[in-house]
Amino acid sequence: MPYLGSEDTVRELRRHLSNPNVQSDPLRYRSSILKVIRAMSQGVDVAGLFSEMVKACATVDIVQKKLVYVFLCSYATLNPELSLLVINTLRKDCQDPNPMVRSLALRNMVNLRLPSLAEYVEQPLSAGLRDRAACVRRVAVLGWAKLHNLQPASEIDAAVVNELYGLLRDPDPVVMVNCLRALEEILKEEGGMAINKPITHHLLNRLGQLDVWGQCEVLRVLQRYRPQSESELFDILSLLDASLVSPHPPVMAATLSLFLVLCPDLPAVSFAALERVRGPLLAACGSASRETRFTALCHIQLLLRSLPGLMGAHYKRFFCGYAEPAYIKQRKMQVLVELVNDDNVAMLLDELRGYCTDVNADTAQAAISAIGRIGRSYSDQCLQILTGLLGLQQEHITSAVVQTMRDLVWVCPQCSDTVCSALEGCEETLQDSQGRQALLWLLAVHGERVRSAPYTLEGFIDGVRGEASPGVKMELLTTTMRLFVCRPAETQDMLGRLLHHCIEEETDMCVRDQALLYYRLLRCGMEETRRVLGGRRSEPSLGVLIGRPAEPISQWASSFNTLEPLKQGAGETETTGRASPQHVTFDLDSDLSDTLNSGAEELDYVCLEERIRCPAVPHCSPQSLQAAMQLVNIQTLAFTAAHASPWRVYLYTHAQQAARSALILGQLLYAGEDEDEDEAGLSEGPSPRGREEEVKVTLKQRPRDEKALQGFLSILTAVLHTLPFNTH
Amino acid sequence: CFRSAVLICRNYKGDVDMAEIDRFLPLLMQHEEEGLLCPVLSHGKVHFMWIKHSNLYLVSTTNKNSNASLVYSFLYKIVEVFTEYFKELEEESIQDNFVVVYELLDELMDFGFPQTTDSKILQEYITQEGAKLEVGKSKVPTTVTNAVSWRSEGIKYKKNEVFIDVIESINVLVNANGSVMSSDIVGSIKLKTMLSGMPELRLGLNDRVLFGLTGRDKGKTVVMEDVKFHQCVRLSRFDSDRTISFIPPDGESELMSYRINTHVKPLIWIESVIEKFSHSRVEIMVKAKGQFKKQSVANNVEVRVPVPSDADSPKFKTSTGQAKYVPEKNMVVWTIKSFPGGKEFLMRAHFGLPSVENNELEGKPPVTVKFEIPYFTVSGIQVRYMKIIEKSGYQALPWVRYITQSGDYQLRTNV
Repeated sequence: MPYLGSEDTVRELRRHLSNPNVQSDPLRYRSSILKVIRAMSQGVDVAGLFSEMVKACATVDIVQKKLVYVFLCSYATLNPELSLLVINTLRKDCQDPNPMVRSLALRNMVNLRLPSLAEYVEQPLSAGLRDRAACVRRVAVLGWAKLHNLQPASEIDAAVVNELYGLLRDPDPVVMVNCLRALEEILKEEGGMAINKPITHHLLNRLGQLDVWGQCEVLRVLQRYRPQSESELFDILSLLDASLVSPHPPVMAATLSLFLVLCPDLPAVSFAALERVRGPLLAACGSASRETRFTALCHIQLLLRSLPGLMGAHYKRFFCGYAEPAYIKQRKMQVLVELVNDDNVAMLLDELRGYCTDVNADTAQAAISAIGRIGRSYSDQCLQILTGLLGLQQEHITSAVVQTMRDLVWVCPQCSDTVCSALEGCEETLQDSQGRQALLWLLAVHGERVRSAPYTLEGFIDGVRGEASPGVKMELLTTTMRLFVCRPAETQDMLGRLLHHCIEEETDMCVRDQALLYYRLLRCGMEETRRVLGGRRSEPSLGVLIGRPAEPISQWASSFNTLEPLKQGAGETETTGRASPQHVTFDLDSDLSDTLNSGAEELDYVCLEERIRCPAVPHCSPQSLQAAMQLVNIQTLAFTAAHASPWRVYLYTHAQQAARSALILGQLLYAGEDEDEDEAGLSEGPSPRGREEEVKVTLKQRPRDEKALQGFLSILTAVLHTLPFNTH
Repeated sequence: CFRSAVLICRNYKGDVDMAEIDRFLPLLMQHEEEGLLCPVLSHGKVHFMWIKHSNLYLVSTTNKNSNASLVYSFLYKIVEVFTEYFKELEEESIQDNFVVVYELLDELMDFGFPQTTDSKILQEYITQEGAKLEVGKSKVPTTVTNAVSWRSEGIKYKKNEVFIDVIESINVLVNANGSVMSSDIVGSIKLKTMLSGMPELRLGLNDRVLFGLTGRDKGKTVVMEDVKFHQCVRLSRFDSDRTISFIPPDGESELMSYRINTHVKPLIWIESVIEKFSHSRVEIMVKAKGQFKKQSVANNVEVRVPVPSDADSPKFKTSTGQAKYVPEKNMVVWTIKSFPGGKEFLMRAHFGLPSVENNELEGKPPVTVKFEIPYFTVSGIQVRYMKIIEKSGYQALPWVRYITQSGDYQLRTNV
């Protein structure tokens, strides 16, 4: 009936259904019902046929029954009164000798989702639990869960719950698993079903009989079990060993998840389990289904956070095929970045360079920023590739390269010379605002070393009238100001023009305000301007730690085998790929210590404060300090330049004791000579002036371990005393 | 809580609003445009996990932090079941069979939990003949209570036979400079069983492979990973004495599959020189070499060589086989019906390039190769024997066939 509107369709269908001739011919009757369902699937509102369909329910034809039930379940909530008429037929069907009919009736009785029918449904459901046929019991068990879901406030019938616990021993595996599911749903408020020793052992013993879905369900529920003794724990673990290397990724992941939950205090066991799943995980990465591959990749990223070396030898498995979807390629690149080492860096970079010219611009950009990430440890090779890419003169590639270089220069200031020489002339290929902002930022920070910087800026300023992006305009203002500070003769004229335009003609408030701010700043005099604009540069001695330290497994164990890892990385790419250093800029004096301090308050770190007398620590060179610390396995996070005041160093270490690793964070503070005199004077009387100066040490650790802290302190003191003594 | 595509919807749990699915397609389009497509899309609290099969999207919606790998496995399981029912899973087959689809969706999942997902069992009580009227049909499937859930009793054949296919696909990725970046073998043993009664089968494989399967001997054997057996194989038996014994499902089934991650010498080696003279022409020279035993022959070999999208007026010269330009796929397909081992063939192609400058950026599509080599397996797996025992004592014949074929077989070019 293609030409009829929805109302006509319904009228036509009703005429068919109520035609006695049609009703007496089962074939025609069924085909009319088929038409109703078809119309329903196509989105026609056929709710008006409810009473006709209720009549059609009384039939011996099982297919017709199923069709009618599909209809009734969709529209029952709209017609609660009429639905009462169906319940009689359904209850009669529950007595049918054919178990298929019984299970069908039982299932749909609950699927009507009408709380008002609950009283009629309970009796058949109870009978269903004791039915001979497994297929009826399966439906009945889940029926109770649905019923509870329908009226979550209603009281839980203890008898039913007991019966469900009893059915955990049902010979049919699906009934057993459905029981688990039902109990979990019904007892949700109490935190799920009780998992005691007999139940656990029973479930574990039947694991082999279950299908993939059932196994996953059992493994998930068992996460709540706490073994009573270590030997029981190991019995369980060895029983689960086979499923740990299951060829079905969901089972493998569920088992690993259970392992991690069961032994949070046995890192060695957890690590062994991670090693064990390496094979199956790699196999899942090569699965035919792209989604499985994607999921496996996301989970590998989690594992790498704790075991960075896990996949090192298998880096080739993460090379991208030409036809793979972009989301897989981008994940693989994120993994590849983690796997880089001295042996494979050449091969890896070669491969990544191939991806930089991918048809998909996002993939190309991800490849370029991956190279940038590797550049933090292997800057020469990476810069060579990045500069080479500029030669292609492709808009999106150049933009990504410039952004990557900006991010790289911030952490590796030693790259700045190469970057500066590469920048010449690339403004012509840059079109998007992100890329141009990055270029401007680089010119602002290293403008004195780029010969053509004023000409580049002039081009930008001449085109400022047509510039759409406020971000670019603001960046342009800052860059011109900074360049004016270091190269006034070349920039004075264009700065004037730019400020004039931005103050007089600009409509964007932010840009105008910034221009006004700079204008007023200039009026305060050159000295003041230089002082304000001069800051905010990455300090060559600022040794930001390269490579993350391995995280404890507990950091991510709870999100393993869920949806979370799939969503997580996407956000991460965003920050690593796009965020400009300005957004992550931290001011050493306030931000970092704030972070440390606020972390301390939130997580209830315990502090230890000591003063160490040591010869001229603040005067020694950062390199020698770092080298000395690393000898005793203390890592430096960041430190201020030598002779700065106040002078600080942030450091951390992993203390190993009793197979539990504890992180200790530390801060060394040398507050400067005047202050030092004050404080020291109060506590210990006048300290002898000379080469003896005090450094304040603050240590943080959670949970507090006095022995570890004292040990760390004594090592630290020893190191500080041995430091070479640089005088100027 | 799951639903299948816009064609048919099924709300199993009622905790996600049915209207939410309408947001899926716009969301998909939007992400596709931004190039941020991902198998999980979110709108507010609702997550859509989807897979694509031919022209259909299978979407599951959830508002929980669900187990992703399980959801994808289930979606693929649905594809598998539907494909076994309708041969092809596509829009038409769903529309033509939507009664069966509704029935299947009801059996596959209940209240958001997977129930019966074995298509062999499902086929016993949900049949397409359901469309023909048979009142009082559909008795309880024996399999629901049967000890052997994958085979019903009382199967009869006049001639008892079983066909065993050993199929290995080779995946290779070769770099532009000719080094093999990665390679693996995906193998499977497929059965077509036409046997009466409840036969007991025992499959004997050569030792080299058996050791590899169990991973006991680390010496010369090939190490197999990702070995999957059909549920009919008695795993305990296999673990104890390494015999593969089972009661087979009737008809076609996959007895086992495996993957070998090893360095495989590419069976057909391709050397290609593609020279672009901008504004005028492209010259392509491809050399194909069979790097397998002289006695074997590769059939239906297809070498697909990428060409620029704006190429025109093709001219070919081949030492054997035929070359054809497929402009809609931007490639030349060189077909060689029969390619003996150790032989080497050449193909030259010449294309004109228009004088208009074309966007340089087309990526670097690789050369791909398709082939099939019968009577040969790369891993060396061999069926030593197949014993068939049935209590009626009939004689049955096993037939074995080996095929090696190309899987994802890519050789990167240097254009």
